[in-house]
Amino acid sequence: MSTQTHQTQPATARASFVPTGSGLSFTGLLHSESIKLWSLRSTYWTFSLVVVASLGIAVLMAFAMSSGFDSAGGAMGIDHAQLYVMVATSGLSLGQLIVAVLGVLSISGEYSSGMIKSTLTAVPNRLPALWAKVCVLFGFTFVVGLFSVVGAFLVATPILGANDVTANLFGDGVILPLLGNALFLALIAVFAIGIGTIVRSSAGGIATVLGIILLLPTVVALFSLLVEWVADIVPFMFTVAGSEMITPNTMESWQAFLVVLVWVVVSLGTAALLLKRRDA
Amino acid sequence: MIQAQSLTKHYGSKTAVDAVDFTVQPGKVTGFLGPNGAGKSTTMRMIVGLDRPSAGSVRVNGKPYHEHKAPLREVGVLLDAKAVHTGRSAYNHLRAMAATHSIPTSRVHEVINLTGLESVARKRVGGFSLGMGQRLGIAAALLGDPATLILDEPVNGLDPEGVQWVRKLTRQLAAEGRTVLLSSHLMSEMALTADHIIVLGRGRVIADASVADIIASAAQNTVRVRTPHTAALASLLAQADVTITNLEQDVLEISGLTVNEIGDRAAAAQISLHELTAVSASLEDAYMKLTQNEVEYRTGDTHTEAGVAR
Repeated sequence: MSTQTHQTQPATARASFVPTGSGLSFTGLLHSESIKLWSLRSTYWTFSLVVVASLGIAVLMAFAMSSGFDSAGGAMGIDHAQLYVMVATSGLSLGQLIVAVLGVLSISGEYSSGMIKSTLTAVPNRLPALWAKVCVLFGFTFVVGLFSVVGAFLVATPILGANDVTANLFGDGVILPLLGNALFLALIAVFAIGIGTIVRSSAGGIATVLGIILLLPTVVALFSLLVEWVADIVPFMFTVAGSEMITPNTMESWQAFLVVLVWVVVSLGTAALLLKRRDA
Repeated sequence: MIQAQSLTKHYGSKTAVDAVDFTVQPGKVTGFLGPNGAGKSTTMRMIVGLDRPSAGSVRVNGKPYHEHKAPLREVGVLLDAKAVHTGRSAYNHLRAMAATHSIPTSRVHEVINLTGLESVARKRVGGFSLGMGQRLGIAAALLGDPATLILDEPVNGLDPEGVQWVRKLTRQLAAEGRTVLLSSHLMSEMALTADHIIVLGRGRVIADASVADIIASAAQNTVRVRTPHTAALASLLAQADVTITNLEQDVLEISGLTVNEIGDRAAAAQISLHELTAVSASLEDAYMKLTQNEVEYRTGDTHTEAGVAR
């Protein structure tokens, strides 16, 4: 028991406070998501790694090719533009793994830290927050991807040029495949956001995405040795379709692009459905 | 204003919130009390749409929360200290939150100053103490200058100065005509802060009244008497509706009689008294009494110094 007494309250009706000021907007959400992206150190690390891997591996490849030309006495009979594209995009498969991890973490990090509660109370309809995150990561990853492959092209130019292997960056055979690579890189990041939203855990999300990117094509290819018709679905694997999009083999570029889009849409669609329905 | 109607939440077979009805009025600080697991946090999460009600509905300022065009200006919420990415600085966290509603950066600086976070605002939240995390949570809740504030355990981990600051802040916000819903386990603090109390127990509303009414209805006022002649006084006062408890060797706690009655009778019987004090019941007493049968997670009975009841 305490001797404390409670002061009596007037508790009369006071005028209710009326809130004023700006409200939710999609531009606001885009701004918010880019603040979120660029206020984490991991973003700088991962994007830098993509660029470094891209340029570094391109230099190595260019030198390796050049020594090959020397012994073979020049690069006769090889399409120069194709060779440049191969060199410029050689580091991107590593970049793909890196942005896949970044994509998963951009949402799973919100779940593991509890940030998601802040995000979803600010955006109670939820989906606009997901779309804003998708747009922002897509945009920046595309720019970083393009910077990487164009940079790789440029650092490879003097090395390959020493053997009189030259190509015009803005020639159709060069710039279009480079753009395609940057686009696929950005789509991987976005695909990974979907997986991260579905799984809601960093470890599980990264394992799932890397499984789909790295393991699935190999596993399906192995199965095709046992069951013949399985070989037909190999081109429909996410990363296989991604590379067919740029260098068509079993299907047209646009068909491969559609296959990639289906993967992305299924991932994001499922993510949106679950995000809307589940308790945060 | 927050209005809950038959608000219900099941988690599997467990009912966390069981068809509760209540209204939280603007212009007052409403305390939200209840034992652990009573459903307070779940209710708060349903108010801001983080959890979907299994049945029933809850409206904030006249609408379901998600229908508002500027949710952060309607409701500021502190759910728990861990709603922030640990790799981000406090400043950037608030900036990202503010950007969703195009709230200017000047307001971010305002809430940082208001919550006393200036010195750590640029540091990563991962290194924050519990108290700093709470201050950041309160800063985020205030960001939109909202009409309704929902604060779950805001004083948890705060230093005494911080506790006092939260009390003044919430009282001031209510005085401005805002709705303030506050949960806490610190009853003495709640008694000083709140005007109105809603008590939950096992997912149901077990009390919804002003602080004074809660205390009056649930706990009795008692009188403390210190005398060397406890036995004589106890037998003198013993009657049907009087309870006498022997607190210490020379102290009795008596309910059912007023200070005057006890003093007069003791004087008539020539029993000397060394102390005679009216003890008004506290909110804590009232709360304990209200919730004694509603506790979800009961601690093992520690041996209490049971007085000799007569």
